[in-house]
Amino acid sequence: MNTKTIPLERKDVEKTTSLPLRPSSLVAVVVLGVLALVPALVSDSFFIHSLIMILFFAYMSTAWNFVCGYVGQLSLGHTMFSGAGGYCSVLLFTQLGVSPWIGMIFGGFLAAFLSVLIGLPTFRLKGPYFTLTMIACAEILRIWVENTNDFYGIPLKGAEGLVVPSMGDDVWAFQFTSKIPYFYIILIMLAVAIFATRLMERSKLGYCLKAIRGDRDAAEALGINPTRYTTLAFAISAFMTALGGSFYAQFFRYINPERNMGLELSIDMAVMSIIGGQGTVLGPLLGAAILVPIAEAARGTLGGSFLGLHLVIYGLALIACVLYFPKGVIHPLGRFFSRLFGLKETRG
Amino acid sequence: MDFFILSFAVTNGLLLGGIYGGVALGLSLIFGVLRVVNFAHGSFLMLSLYISFWLWSIFGLDPYLSALINIPAMFMLGFAVQALIISPLIKRESALVVEPLSALLLTAGIFLVLDNAALMAFGPDVRAVQTSYYMPSLMLGGIPVNSQRLIGAVAAVIVAAALSWWLRTSHLGRSIRATAQNRDAAAMSGINVPFVYAVTFGIGCGILGLFGALMSTFIPISPSIGLSFGIKSFIVVVLGGLGSIPGCIIGGIVIGVFEAVASQFVTATSAAIGSLALFVLILIFRPAGIMGRA
Repeated sequence: MNTKTIPLERKDVEKTTSLPLRPSSLVAVVVLGVLALVPALVSDSFFIHSLIMILFFAYMSTAWNFVCGYVGQLSLGHTMFSGAGGYCSVLLFTQLGVSPWIGMIFGGFLAAFLSVLIGLPTFRLKGPYFTLTMIACAEILRIWVENTNDFYGIPLKGAEGLVVPSMGDDVWAFQFTSKIPYFYIILIMLAVAIFATRLMERSKLGYCLKAIRGDRDAAEALGINPTRYTTLAFAISAFMTALGGSFYAQFFRYINPERNMGLELSIDMAVMSIIGGQGTVLGPLLGAAILVPIAEAARGTLGGSFLGLHLVIYGLALIACVLYFPKGVIHPLGRFFSRLFGLKETRG
Repeated sequence: MDFFILSFAVTNGLLLGGIYGGVALGLSLIFGVLRVVNFAHGSFLMLSLYISFWLWSIFGLDPYLSALINIPAMFMLGFAVQALIISPLIKRESALVVEPLSALLLTAGIFLVLDNAALMAFGPDVRAVQTSYYMPSLMLGGIPVNSQRLIGAVAAVIVAAALSWWLRTSHLGRSIRATAQNRDAAAMSGINVPFVYAVTFGIGCGILGLFGALMSTFIPISPSIGLSFGIKSFIVVVLGGLGSIPGCIIGGIVIGVFEAVASQFVTATSAAIGSLALFVLILIFRPAGIMGRA
């Protein structure tokens, strides 16, 4: 067993070092820069809406990837953080009049606290056990919220969900009549998340997480404290996920347990990272760019006649990816482009 | 608390728990042998419920008789899924990982496809089978016992006993157990491991075929029913010990009685949350379960 695993890891290291790091940041800057210009060129509201959804899912998936992709654990319970964050900011706004900008930071800290509470005992569980625990934790939160109308005076309103009262164009209330401000907000959030992932990847935290993914026991033997680093990354990931949940609540001005805490959103976040390429900076963005248009097209062109069609496609894509591109589409794509650019460079 | 109501709740919990155990048998067997957590387990149950429903609705076939078609159909489906989809992955990763996470992802993909294909094909409507005859509740010591559930629970115990007996005595059963213990050693002793895997997966799904037929008589059928039974099966299997067949039935009964009795004192939702919390606690403190080997 051991003799077999060693060559594979060496190959792993070779692959990551042979992948040129600078082009990926270049790609990120170019993609985000071009996206920033889009609202100036296109005014079609459905198009902008679809772009916002792509960016939103790319953001959520990047947040998921921040811990799960790098440490190699599959969490299918991340919606408990987006749900907690979203409910926190909406309730602070409707009950106390706190601006959602401040509320979402509170929601982020609440989710980070929750993640430490759950992560500390569960992160040492291996593989499927961790996944099942996370599903169970998220389900506990969802079932509880779905069936609680009033929690010590806090109106959670159960399965009905919470509506954010309309305030018109109000920056302070995080509400805009046009979709374009939302577009820029989520674009900036995504850029920050990608930048944070990039920073983390080259920091001590990133190297430790990768070491833990490679071999937890060996990492521990080298003096890395797995609990400390995974919990830290988990808390950051939960914080980012919660901000995404708040954005979602403000964008739709509505939040309910099924959509914001359900298993489906968790699976979406994970599937996009996995198909794009987990453990890479741009993988989640690529995954969202591939999958979300499918969902939007299925919803937009076929209407409600084919419920669940996009999820069938997600499932098929996931199966194909696990079988043929286990490291995500970004790796073959990256190799292709680096060859392409390599040619160009020699010519120039 | 009224003694009569409590004993009624316990009886009901016993029956429902037995059925939970029976449904979870396949999940436990597949995990025990292949070390694959089958995320699509509930979806396979949903599918077999629909098989029985459509056989009844189109051909007027009695749900109990439909088991004769349902079991082989589900066996073949499971066999095919393992042989065509999961087997290439296991071959690729066999030397590297013991409990492959990518297999979980693969079955999660199958879950997405099956559940949503059912939603597309059958719509979100809730359907129910109505048998032409009336099955009266039995009175056992003054407690009414739902006969359909009794049949389900008894079937679960019989299937579990038959399965462990067959695994212990038959040639194929021995091959399955050998493969579960050590895949490489089994392959070197001349066992066709991919075939054993496919048969195991087939049996796991075939058991669901039986329970789909038995449960279609008293369960409202909808495309989303799979996930809740899938999650419940995870709870049952983890409680009883992943891979343990008697543990599966015992785990089912513990969960069934726990939920039935707890819902007499607190709301049914709190009982559901309680069983999920129990699941998390067991995973953290005793991952091998009650009956599992540590």
